[in-house]
Amino acid sequence: MASRNATASSSRVASRAAAGPSRVPPSTKTKKRAVEEISVEDDEDEFGAAGSGIDMSDDDEEEEQVEGEGGEDDQEEEEFPEFDSELEDGEEDLVAGEGEDASDGDDESDSAYGEEEDDEESGSESGYNSSDIEAMYDSSPATSPSSSHKELSTDEKLSKMIAKHSVKPDETLGSDAKISGAKEGVGRLVPSKLVEGGYKREYEEYEAGYGSESSTEDNPNTVGNIPMEWYDDLPHIGYDVNGRKIFRPAQGDELDKFLANVEDPNAWMSAEDKLMQQSVQLTDKELDIIRRLERAENPDADYDPYQPTIEWFTGEGKERVMPLSAAPEPKRRFVPSKWEHKKVMKIVKAIREGRIIPNKPSAAKPTVYAIWSDADQANAPHAMYMPAPQLPPPKTAESYNPPEEYLPTEQEKEEWENMDKEDRKTDFLPQKYDALRLVPGYKNLVQEKFERCLDLYLAPRTRKVKLNIDPESLIPKLPAPKELKPFPIACSVQYRHPGDTRVRATSVSPDATFVASGSEDGVVRLWDLGNGREVWRWDLKSGPIQYVEWSPYKDEALLVALVEGKVVVMSPLALVAPTVAAATLTHVNTAFASSAATTKMGAGKEVKGTEAIKWVRPSEKERERGVLVYVEVPGTPKQVAWHRKGDYFATVAADASNKSVLIHQLSKHATQSPFRKLPGAVQRVAFHPTKPHFFAATQRYIRLYDLAGQTLLRTLQSGVKWISSMDVHPGGDNLIVGSYDKKLAWFDMDLSAKPYKTLRYHTRALRSVVYHPTLPLFASASDDGTIHIFHCTVYTDLMQNPLIVPLKILRGHRITDGIGVLDLRWVAGKPWLVSSGADGEVRLWCS
Amino acid sequence: MAKIKRKGESGAAKNYVTRNQALKKLQISLSDFRRLCILKGIYPREPLNKKRANKGSSAPATFYYHKDIQYLLHEPLLVKFREHKAFAKKLARALGRGEWALAKNLEEAKPVARLDHLVKERYPTFTLALQDLQDPLNLVHLFSTLPTNPIPGKTLVPSAVIAECSRLISEWKVWAIRTHSLKKVFLGIKGVYYECDVPGQGGENVRVRWLEGYEFQQHVPTDVDFRILLTFLDLYRTLINFVLFKLYTEENLVYPPPLDEELDERGESVGAFRLVEKKAAEGVDGTGQVSKKAVRKAIKGIKASGADADVEMGEDEDEAAQDEDAEEDFVERPSKADEVEDVATAPLTTYNSLLATSSTPSTSRQSLLFSPYTFYLSRETSSRTWEFVIRAMGGKVITSLSAPSPSDGATADSITHVIIDRPMTAERMREMESGRKWTWIQPQWIADCVNRQKIISSEGYGPGQLLPPHLSPWDGEGEVYRPWLEEENKQAAEGAEAEEEEDDTIERDAVDEDESEDEEEEADEDETAAGEPSYPPALLASALDPENASLLHAAELEAETNGTSHADFRAQLKEATKANASKVKSNAAGVAGTNKKKANGGEEDLRKIMMSNKKAKLYEKMQYSNRERAAEKEKLEKKRVAIEKRKRKEARS
Repeated sequence: MASRNATASSSRVASRAAAGPSRVPPSTKTKKRAVEEISVEDDEDEFGAAGSGIDMSDDDEEEEQVEGEGGEDDQEEEEFPEFDSELEDGEEDLVAGEGEDASDGDDESDSAYGEEEDDEESGSESGYNSSDIEAMYDSSPATSPSSSHKELSTDEKLSKMIAKHSVKPDETLGSDAKISGAKEGVGRLVPSKLVEGGYKREYEEYEAGYGSESSTEDNPNTVGNIPMEWYDDLPHIGYDVNGRKIFRPAQGDELDKFLANVEDPNAWMSAEDKLMQQSVQLTDKELDIIRRLERAENPDADYDPYQPTIEWFTGEGKERVMPLSAAPEPKRRFVPSKWEHKKVMKIVKAIREGRIIPNKPSAAKPTVYAIWSDADQANAPHAMYMPAPQLPPPKTAESYNPPEEYLPTEQEKEEWENMDKEDRKTDFLPQKYDALRLVPGYKNLVQEKFERCLDLYLAPRTRKVKLNIDPESLIPKLPAPKELKPFPIACSVQYRHPGDTRVRATSVSPDATFVASGSEDGVVRLWDLGNGREVWRWDLKSGPIQYVEWSPYKDEALLVALVEGKVVVMSPLALVAPTVAAATLTHVNTAFASSAATTKMGAGKEVKGTEAIKWVRPSEKERERGVLVYVEVPGTPKQVAWHRKGDYFATVAADASNKSVLIHQLSKHATQSPFRKLPGAVQRVAFHPTKPHFFAATQRYIRLYDLAGQTLLRTLQSGVKWISSMDVHPGGDNLIVGSYDKKLAWFDMDLSAKPYKTLRYHTRALRSVVYHPTLPLFASASDDGTIHIFHCTVYTDLMQNPLIVPLKILRGHRITDGIGVLDLRWVAGKPWLVSSGADGEVRLWCS
Repeated sequence: MAKIKRKGESGAAKNYVTRNQALKKLQISLSDFRRLCILKGIYPREPLNKKRANKGSSAPATFYYHKDIQYLLHEPLLVKFREHKAFAKKLARALGRGEWALAKNLEEAKPVARLDHLVKERYPTFTLALQDLQDPLNLVHLFSTLPTNPIPGKTLVPSAVIAECSRLISEWKVWAIRTHSLKKVFLGIKGVYYECDVPGQGGENVRVRWLEGYEFQQHVPTDVDFRILLTFLDLYRTLINFVLFKLYTEENLVYPPPLDEELDERGESVGAFRLVEKKAAEGVDGTGQVSKKAVRKAIKGIKASGADADVEMGEDEDEAAQDEDAEEDFVERPSKADEVEDVATAPLTTYNSLLATSSTPSTSRQSLLFSPYTFYLSRETSSRTWEFVIRAMGGKVITSLSAPSPSDGATADSITHVIIDRPMTAERMREMESGRKWTWIQPQWIADCVNRQKIISSEGYGPGQLLPPHLSPWDGEGEVYRPWLEEENKQAAEGAEAEEEEDDTIERDAVDEDESEDEEEEADEDETAAGEPSYPPALLASALDPENASLLHAAELEAETNGTSHADFRAQLKEATKANASKVKSNAAGVAGTNKKKANGGEEDLRKIMMSNKKAKLYEKMQYSNRERAAEKEKLEKKRVAIEKRKRKEARS
């Protein structure tokens, strides 16, 4: 109840703050209250007179304004509200308790309410109001209420006494009794009926106030607060207490209504009351409220938004002095502390006895003492400890009289002057003075010391390992080239092509008698290896020769040349031994006998579009020249790789989409495309020297396929950007790859899928890399016009890595249009090398 | 399963903190942090990966080692800083309120930060302290030469600090003189460099080098922050104090050496130090406070004992010394009042006073370089430098103050060398010598003698003469090759034996040596120039082409005119031909050699193909620096040859 009370009061305050001091209570209630208040006032008149010595506070004035309607004579009402209410309540209670007992109905509760409300009003309006404060200040014995007791009537005295004795003296009856009363709820102590001599606190009925449902306004509607539309379709509008229907009051139809409206001059100010099902005429006050609301004004007509400010604490004579407590200064504030005195005396005694020496200089450590001893140990070295480097000792250049060669020339001086301070190698210029007395003071001494200090505490330190090794020791130890002879050293034969046409390809016959070369003028030339004489030529008349390659089979003399869209199989029949010529012809021509110059796909899977591949027998004339077969293939084949037995050869044409790699069989005139789908643009292919494996190099990867099992065996990652050439070591386990990004990668396939060594020594793109078929040599050719010869020993022991020794750089080919050496071939069985270049030359390099 | 590693909790991210983080952690201002860093020797680091150290940010930042900052957290100095801050506030308040008594009390209880623990912490052993003594000595000396307001209107340097600096540097020098530990002197354009051998912990010698600027007013740029320098100086002063204490104690001397008040009153700041043996001092006063009287007494006692001990000095010498003592004079200096301002620029004193009391030196005087000599310092020479050097090398010094001219006074007879830095005619010299035998030298001679650890010839060092180049004693092996120096050294070494036997004739010997040296040099030059014994031109021509009869005839004619006999001519011709042939051969060999080298170079190039990328880069770097060094050397050598050639030409014409 107490808390409810408090909240109610606070809400009241809020509502009043919003609505302003002038309330618009229902008139009936106002009247009632006024009566109540007056009746209370009567009691208080004497009291008010008794308390007339007390200053009139502003509070009262305000109250007056506020309660203007309430009555003129309630001036003193709030004088001592706390005392009054309590006492009054108590008295009334007592009376009520004795007399009417339980039948103190509406009246009493109302009066109690009135009291309480007033109580609350004063309490809530100024929780700690000025009258309280003044009361406190003035509560001197002279003005204490006891003195005014004389003027009280005996009845009053008696009732007060009764109240005093019946109520437990309240300690909080002082300054803030009122507040506490408001807080804890003002209940009446009533003698308990159950416990003998006991009291119980009884609280007044709480009236929620204006607008609440329990307001005293009589409600003629007996059906209850229900939505009336429920009864819209029914003749009645609810039920009475006895359950009988209450019928809808008679209502005319719309016409009647209209007529009534027209007739009734007050129709415009009547409204329909849903609950009562009848139209109600609005009072003037209500109309005024509506009007004000329409004008967005405060609905309360009495509300004055421009009230004069009321000065509570400001202005003349109203200033308050803090603190608010009226408690007298305690004695201890004026009397010297006993305990402090005791403490001081203790110290005084100690000083007298000499135990404490005032202002005694502290026993300071001596400024210097033996800080180091022989037993000192340096800190253990730590990786993060970096002592500052010492200043280097001065060199002769810093001498005042250096040898003359140290003196800078004019040019050096100027350079030094123009250089940034940070870039200078020394912070001074060497100078020479003839005598010591002529040496001036050094201008930058302070600056340099300052910079040194800055360096010591500002410069980040890092540990830099200075390698004190002979640079030569970094070069790997390799056997001397002369121990690894023979290898090609010098150019001994040149095969000159007319018109300096680029010689794209060259090849050496397996019996080391002929060199074939294919140049961009579309002619395949055959040269005598030894003397460089051109012995034969085929003019294929179909664009540049992309590639030429001799069959590695020694008993036949077969040469394959590649031009755009065609693979040409040729043989210099007139130049070779008759048996060899015969063997060659039989090998190539048997298939013609069986299938009369037709095309046949091999046993491999049918690939769409293979009908484009045709084995064509050349004309009689061409056959006389030694051209044996044309194979028409899609795209421009760029490389031929022979199988070691000389029956199969593979061609690569990068621009022929999925038929770029083709394997041709001479004896059957069959072509197959081993890959249904290619992993990328194939650059080079090669047959494994011993196993039925097949290498295909795309731009970056080399894949090893098993042709018999038709599976992918391995993928090697070259680490280069674009593979240009590839060769397989005759042993079959090693592979070299040349790339357009100047690198040569050596793969040891037993070791890893990544290169065992990547060498970068050419300054331009590599064009060709080749192993010697029998000797431990390999060579690489590049666009920088050089050929590098390497020794390479591949050990049978798996644990030993291949030995690669650079042997020789062969120079001779000229660079034309940025292209140097294009193709390389070793001469079988000899340490000789044949190279072809863009300068229209084929060279034979001999040891 | 391995523990999950989270980012930023280990490695560089954990190891390094930025400066701002450090400041936040320590809760101090930037200036306090700077002071702390200077005193504790904490320096920024350069992480290998800055981004990782900065937790992913690549913003520029200064990084400190995390543990350095961690250790700073419980640094006693940090507490002192805070105390001082509180003290400053209290004092300001007291002064503001005019509570003078309170202010006085506060001032008396002012918290003082001591740096002893830092010295021990930063230099756990004495050797380490000595190794790091170069910067402290440099800075302390610099401050001893600065005015109190180096930059007008900016930070003032308290005169007490300047006085302490000059005291420390003098005490250091006094110690060096007493122990004769000076090893090298170098006259540079920045100042004079000295190097001492200082015994460290366990007797190992540490070389301490320091620089003293020339005695001119220092130019102080306005952007020099003296607060930083003073913070460094605080630490350095403490360090040097402790080092000197240790050194003096090991010499069984009292430290600090008591100041002779009388001398001090006469305006003698440095010379007023007296070296007092420990025992004597202890006898006088248990507390170590040495009174003036005690000092006097001690000095007297020592003087007596010193005279006894100094056997080497003859009777008359002793007398002379006493005379010297008696009339010991000091550099005139401004009055005491001025001195406060002028401590810096005041020239130093004679060291006579310093050493007057030193008892038997630790090293026997016999072995010292200058012990037999007495030097007269002419007034234009820096007594601060040369007195120190000569005394440290065992010599005796007479300054221009005690005798305005070498011929003046009773000391004239004892003078052996006159150090003079201005031109003077031979007549005047002879006149001043008046029969006595003095060696007139320029100051560089002393430095050169000290650096070579022997008395070199005074030839070329005379007054007004153009001096031989002064070389740095710290020139390493990679310096420019100077054959003439080597030869000189060799000659000197040979001469040294003779020198030992006949002390009196040193001078003449030296001169002779020099002459012979010169001759040899010339001969050498000729040899190197011609490369072979000189032959008449015609003979040479015929030797070049022995088959040519006409040339032979011409040679014969020439021989006849020269007056050579036929046999001689034949022999000469044969010889010349032979020499020529060998020359041609060697030339050919040289060509072959270069070819071979080229071939070798090609081969090496090939081997480099097989180097790994990393090694190849390293190799290139090394080769580059080697080439740079060689180029530098070659440039100097070329310049030298050109200069020599020019000089020879000038000499001939």
